Amino acid sequence: MATELISETKARSTLLVTLRDKLRLKSAWEKLTWTWRPETKREAGDAIVRNFVLHWFPAKVSLESLSWGYSFWLGTISAVLFLILTITGGVLMFLYVPSVERAYLSVKDLEFSTSYGWFLRGLHRIGAHLMVAVVFLHMVRVFLTGAFKNGRKAVGQNRPLNWIIGVALLLITLLLSFTGYLLPWDQLAYWAITVGTNIASSAPVFGEPTRFILLGGTTIEQATLIRFYVLHCFILPLATLWLVSYHMWRVRKDGGLACVEKRYEEAKKEERPAIASKTYSLLGITGGTAVDVRNVMVDDEKDKVPSSPYLTVRLAVVTLATLVASIVLTLIVKAPLEEAANPAVTPNPAKAPWYFLWLQELVTITTFTIGGFTINGALIGGIILPGVLVLAAVLWPYFDKSPVSSIGRWFPKERKWQNRIFLLIIVAILILTFIGTFMRGPFWEIYMPWQEWEQTPRKF
Amino acid sequence: MLSKDAIKLYVLGLSLLGLTAWVFFRENRMDWTDYQAEFKEFVTEKFGAERAAQVPTGIQQIWVKDLDRVDRCITCHQAVEWKGLETAPEPYRTHPKEILEKHPLTAYGCTSCHGGQGFSTILPDAHGNVEHWEEPVLGAEVSEAYLIKNSKALMEMNCNSCHRYDRETKGMDYINTAKKLVEEKNCRACHTINGRGGIIGPDLTFEGEKPTEQFDYGRLTGRHSVFAWQVAHFQNPKMVSPDSVMPNFGFSSQDAQALALLVMSWRKEPIPANYISGVQLRDVPTQEEIEKEKRMLEGEGAFFVQNKCFICHSVTSLGVDSAAKIGPDLSDAVTDVQSRFGRTLDDFLMEPTGTMSVVLATQIPLTVEQRQQAIALLKVAYQRKLEQQIKNASPSPMPTGK
Repeated sequence: MATELISETKARSTLLVTLRDKLRLKSAWEKLTWTWRPETKREAGDAIVRNFVLHWFPAKVSLESLSWGYSFWLGTISAVLFLILTITGGVLMFLYVPSVERAYLSVKDLEFSTSYGWFLRGLHRIGAHLMVAVVFLHMVRVFLTGAFKNGRKAVGQNRPLNWIIGVALLLITLLLSFTGYLLPWDQLAYWAITVGTNIASSAPVFGEPTRFILLGGTTIEQATLIRFYVLHCFILPLATLWLVSYHMWRVRKDGGLACVEKRYEEAKKEERPAIASKTYSLLGITGGTAVDVRNVMVDDEKDKVPSSPYLTVRLAVVTLATLVASIVLTLIVKAPLEEAANPAVTPNPAKAPWYFLWLQELVTITTFTIGGFTINGALIGGIILPGVLVLAAVLWPYFDKSPVSSIGRWFPKERKWQNRIFLLIIVAILILTFIGTFMRGPFWEIYMPWQEWEQTPRKF
Repeated sequence: MLSKDAIKLYVLGLSLLGLTAWVFFRENRMDWTDYQAEFKEFVTEKFGAERAAQVPTGIQQIWVKDLDRVDRCITCHQAVEWKGLETAPEPYRTHPKEILEKHPLTAYGCTSCHGGQGFSTILPDAHGNVEHWEEPVLGAEVSEAYLIKNSKALMEMNCNSCHRYDRETKGMDYINTAKKLVEEKNCRACHTINGRGGIIGPDLTFEGEKPTEQFDYGRLTGRHSVFAWQVAHFQNPKMVSPDSVMPNFGFSSQDAQALALLVMSWRKEPIPANYISGVQLRDVPTQEEIEKEKRMLEGEGAFFVQNKCFICHSVTSLGVDSAAKIGPDLSDAVTDVQSRFGRTLDDFLMEPTGTMSVVLATQIPLTVEQRQQAIALLKVAYQRKLEQQIKNASPSPMPTGK
């Protein structure tokens, strides 16, 4: 199939070349736009390896890895979102003032008077929300396809480690979003961080000190704002950049996406048994056969296409699609900016950022009253349960004993029960998030979507 | 596969181009661009193209650093300080002149009196009747909602931020009525206001700071707002809070509205002292100092007090006492000048040298007649000094004792 595809490219390019030659546009246009194009497969490979940006891709890539339906390109989308966030964030840093006196006003200025300020802020905000969602979905995909498992015994393969880095990246993504949440310094920001950090403080022994260090005191004030700002703009993006690079490098070290493993499985089946032969080595004295070479050879020509242009074009499609989707959402969804932060007025209801609302729901559910005693759910729901989930996620690859044949496929029979349990947890998190986001009204009461909330009081 | 991807790439590329155009269009076609264009046309019609060319374009703002306000209202309300558009339709009308003379735009901005969201350049947000903005423009729209006859009355709440300590302020009829009612009904019998009053009711000094969420709107029909609550409470306290012991004063609805505006104006806003009406920003001399100066003005040395010589010099023999005593006592100026400068007093005062030349040239410009008067008085002072010395030198009674 790959050979057909290559000849397709050749045919296309030949047609174009003839057309250009006939129109005598070739030399001028090409000199302006396309200084060099690979003529052979070797040159196509070189195009990838020689390029600074593209060199972390292999020169050749398997067709399965490129398919839309296997990975949904969620990791790439996350990386593109991170790029969008870095660029918009970089510009926003010139416009935002991280002080309690000016922060809110500088965001108001962005909304109303800075050129394209509303767009920058909107795109940064939507990008951040999307990144949380897409990184989460990426994790779900990797779990469901068992892509954290090692397949053939290749040198240096360590997919479980890359999975753990992925879990760390998810946590950092959440932290990035959480620290950014405070920066507008409005009521939404202030109280979301209050709820979030209060949940964190219920951890035994470390809870209070952690909150104190994070806030730079006991209340959310200037010290908190500057800490969150530095974490948000410097430390966490740097950590993300570093870990993403390692994550990507590991994908190469692990032999590409997990979906390629089945090729080796198939090749193994075709493998002929080693020929028993005479040996003249010392080992031969003990009897037996020759040294058994069981190296699996996969026919590269058959399975792979050059990364340029197959991968690069698809990468451009994904990048553009992510950018277009983010911009469309930015234009549709209005970025909220509430009243300036006011520690004296608690909004009713006070909610954590949406991706922590399942935790806030868990805290509510695990808070109950027996007789005169009230058990506070912050410890169970806010610390222990999510802690157990993260720990389980980290350790899972080491307890997953399903066969190698289940790797890199959607819903393999061999991993039926694992996937069911995992999906149950995911669905539970999604339901709790939905309840917390759309159904919790004043005094944390349940409101059906068609029920109206109490009138919000106004000054006039 | 490649050609399919290429089609996707083209479609997405075109979408991105379209979106970029849309974002560009949206950025450059805000509410205010339309208003500015319309104003230009309006001015062209009325005053000709030359005046219209002077109309500024782009976002306009007044930054009042002292009040920490940025008001972009003049982006659309461009005629605020123009002459001759007094009857034009809004937003192109001239602001009433008299009030601006005392409250210049550069020192007060717009929102400190009118309310509204000064940052905003979008109409509904700027007028502030939107979610998450508590200070709407206090004009016709809100007045109509509360059936207030005078559409400017609500604004008095904001005026009273600075005029809080006035007994009466010109043009603030509602607040003036309310302030009178506070005295007549003696609200201080139960409530503390500005540090004075009883403790039966809550302290009302910062009643206007109480957040909207802290009122119980359970028994309120209609709009849930602080203003509605306050009006209803003044008209019948027990209706909105049954446990209240506040008597029903039978206020008319207009009086209740006035009182509501007054209590809501009692906020804790950071206003620089020089904005607050009636606040004196001077070192006030003590009663003792005032009396001393008065005494000195009545004595023989009054000239030296009137002409501020006493700021540096005492003239002890004439009862003039300088607080600073920077210069020498002038009681013996007749001899002292001679010994210091080698010139007679008359000569020196007519053409002084050193410090005195600077002082008399700048701060105390005495006429020739005044200088002669000073010389004559200083001679009297010397005479008095000598007399006092003789008097003091007369023998005192012998001390008694062991």
